[in-house]
Amino acid sequence: MNLSIFLAAEDPSLSHHWLFPEIGEIIYGGLASLIIFGALFKFGWPAAKKALEARTAKIQKELDDSAAAQSQADSDAASIRTALGDVASERARILAEADAQAAAVLSEGRARITAEVADMEARATAEIDAARARSGDELRAEIARLSATATTDAVRAALDDRTQQELIDGFIAKVGAAR
Amino acid sequence: MSVQQINAYVTAMFEIAVANDALATVEDEMFRLARAYETNEALRGSLGDTSLPIERRQKIVEQLLGGKAHNVTVQLASMLVGTGHISLLPQVADALVKRASSEKQLEVAEVRTAVALSDAQKTRLIDALAKATGKRVNLKVVVDPSVIGGVVATVGDEVIDDSVRTRLDQVKARL
Repeated sequence: MNLSIFLAAEDPSLSHHWLFPEIGEIIYGGLASLIIFGALFKFGWPAAKKALEARTAKIQKELDDSAAAQSQADSDAASIRTALGDVASERARILAEADAQAAAVLSEGRARITAEVADMEARATAEIDAARARSGDELRAEIARLSATATTDAVRAALDDRTQQELIDGFIAKVGAAR
Repeated sequence: MSVQQINAYVTAMFEIAVANDALATVEDEMFRLARAYETNEALRGSLGDTSLPIERRQKIVEQLLGGKAHNVTVQLASMLVGTGHISLLPQVADALVKRASSEKQLEVAEVRTAVALSDAQKTRLIDALAKATGKRVNLKVVVDPSVIGGVVATVGDEVIDDSVRTRLDQVKARL
């Protein structure tokens, strides 16, 4: 329908073909196209080629870097796995050592405390014995002191004048008879 | 105070007592005054109190001995107070007694009893001590209540102790 409208709109009186341009137009158009393509090939192609090469190199570099990074990551991962293994064994060793030390400290502490308790018991027993003996001695001394005081008081009370004179006379008689 | 100074006092007192023909009396009274000075704290305090004037302290001596002791004894005791050497009274009196006894060739016999002795007891005691020690003795009796009963006699270096106090001490030691 549209084509028919277009064909119907063409002026049949025109000399050039409805499809092909005029020869001159083809020549000029062709030359212009050649000049443009030539210029593009001469001036644009090297720059485009250079940009493509640079991009290719950049991409290649990125690929290489990625490969290197991946290799490094693989290496690091291996190291980490190895280290993790070492850490686990070190942890186990440290825990075992700590357990052994704790057991030794506990055992030593028990022995020390047992010895200290025994020593304290012995000292307490000795102090109790000493205190008992001291109390006994003090009691005996106090009894002796009280007895002596009571004896002195009783003797003083019993020493009347007659007894005093008898003692003096007895002394004189004894001394006089001594030699 | 040196021994020489004590001896100086003793020599002076001895000469004064001899000059007054009162040696026996003076040495006996000085001995008894010395024992009273030793045992009586109030007397010691009064006679040794330097805050009191010397005249006041000498007055105390005169009041204490006046009428009871020989005048020479009072003057000699007052002299010790006046020179500020009353604290030497026991040593001076003992040395004077020793000097006087030595002069009469007697040995000082200090006898301590709880009660005073009668003259008869003193005479018998002098005889008994002379018999026991073989020495003639100048008896000096000190009434000392701490003896409690009995007698403690000291003749020279010899001590004859038959006191109740010593017997009680032995009982205490045994207890």
